[in-house]
Amino acid sequence: MNWSPIFLSIQVTLVATLGIFAIGLALALFLARTKTRAKILIELLVNLPLVLPPSVVGYYLLITLGRNGIIFQLFNLNLLFTWQAAVIASMVVAMPLMVQSAKAALEGVDPALENAARTLGLTEWQVIARVTLPLARRGIIAGLVLGSARALGEFGATLMIGGNIPGVTQTAPLAIYDAVQAGRFADASFLVFILTVLALLSLIAVNRMQRG
Amino acid sequence: MLQVKIEKQLPDFKLNINFETGAEILVLFGASGAGKTMTLNCIAGLLAPDAGAIQFNGNVLFDSIARVNLPARLRRVGYVFQHYALFPHLTVRENVEFGVKDAKGRESAKSRERAHVDELLELVGITSLAARYPSQLSGGQQQRVALARALAPRPDLLLLDEPFSALDAPTRETLRQELRALQARFNLPTIFVTHDLGEAYFLADKLAVMDRGEIVQIGAPGEILLRPRDLRVARAVGVKNILRGVVEARDEKTCHVKVGEFGLETPASSAPVGAEVNVCIRAERVVLMRPERGEESRAENVLEGELLRETSDGSTVTLYFRADAPRFAPTQDFDLQIELPVYIYERLDLSRARRWRVSVRRNGIHLIR
Repeated sequence: MNWSPIFLSIQVTLVATLGIFAIGLALALFLARTKTRAKILIELLVNLPLVLPPSVVGYYLLITLGRNGIIFQLFNLNLLFTWQAAVIASMVVAMPLMVQSAKAALEGVDPALENAARTLGLTEWQVIARVTLPLARRGIIAGLVLGSARALGEFGATLMIGGNIPGVTQTAPLAIYDAVQAGRFADASFLVFILTVLALLSLIAVNRMQRG
Repeated sequence: MLQVKIEKQLPDFKLNINFETGAEILVLFGASGAGKTMTLNCIAGLLAPDAGAIQFNGNVLFDSIARVNLPARLRRVGYVFQHYALFPHLTVRENVEFGVKDAKGRESAKSRERAHVDELLELVGITSLAARYPSQLSGGQQQRVALARALAPRPDLLLLDEPFSALDAPTRETLRQELRALQARFNLPTIFVTHDLGEAYFLADKLAVMDRGEIVQIGAPGEILLRPRDLRVARAVGVKNILRGVVEARDEKTCHVKVGEFGLETPASSAPVGAEVNVCIRAERVVLMRPERGEESRAENVLEGELLRETSDGSTVTLYFRADAPRFAPTQDFDLQIELPVYIYERLDLSRARRWRVSVRRNGIHLIR
């Protein structure tokens, strides 16, 4: 059995999960705490990949990351067709799941509790660390698990900007497509089985999180 | 000494508060939506007034002109919230310790703080609950934790927002007494918000009646109950008999006021002859005259009539009394509401004895212009 797509998928998913945790949580905190108009725009932008076809997301990323895109212009950095491109594609499509879930959880924390912490001498950051986040942790973790599951399964946008290079950008979902195209059904079944188990495990994890 | 003089525009009215208070219990009393909680939040630094200043012992907490708005964490204010606002993810002990500063690792200081927290837990009677979570406590126990938590960082000022409103009557009673004792022990300036008149009267060293964002009257509770400044206060502090009258004559000590058909003698007032006044008569100060006790000689403003009906809350009975002519309120079915304790009602056998002479003592009458 060829394990390399699995290892690559896990690598991409772990890095993407770290990314959606950091960026998603910051976005969720911002969205949960501001009332500016910009908020609606940002929320729209974050959620767009949820409803756009993955190929469309991939196309936008191709433009952004390509030779004429801002990343290349600013940093002279070509990310296209690297494993990092797969990470970015996974993060963009998984972000809405994390932000939605975390934002709802953060908004659900009783403001009186945060006010109580303020009168007890805590700074705003201490309030977030000692009251808001601990109380919202279930929604945050649920969003993270859903997001990482989505990142693990990412196909379309990854194909557009990562390509399908075995050992470099060929993650498990891409390898399954490849194996079926080539009639290697044993390879395909093996990968399908592994991905199904991982998906089930994350659903169970979310379920347990929600039941508390 | 806390000095508060603030303004804030709210959707329905303008908050316009001005008062001073010291190491005593000041009760902010008023209907819900009068701006009581807003006032506390402004003092605690959770809400910024539009204009004005808040000072405590010379320290400026807020000043719109000098652009000072000290954040809540630096104001040293203990705040007990209406629905407790205990941290559900922390134990009772962790809740109480929450605002106690880490004493920079020095063992002596740490153990001193621990002893301080222990003492507080003991003081409010929750030592045995220290390891439990808030969800495992009754309402009264949660309120005790909230109180201990607010006191733990040694605040300069204690604010309580209807802390007992969700509790059953016996628990409420106990907690009120404990709060009084705690306040006396720590000698802490305390502001207590409530819409319960009995609670306000029991706790207040100083009572402030609020209505639509303003303190309408502030002073000793007994004084406000007996001499409300205007009709809003009179209704708020439970004056049951408010009658319209016209001043017919007056001298230094007495006013003669025509109330309906009745010529009432009242204490002196600034109202000129011919002025329309509102006559406030507290229901518990109307006396049923018992001939055998020789009350005739001390009687003032005597009406004769019958008891129409009564209502009771179990400890007090409210009698609805209709006078024979001359009456106070000829267009109404009754003239006076009279309140007395249930045991008096029973002792006087009022369920059968319905004809009475009643005396409205002058010192129980107050005129509002």
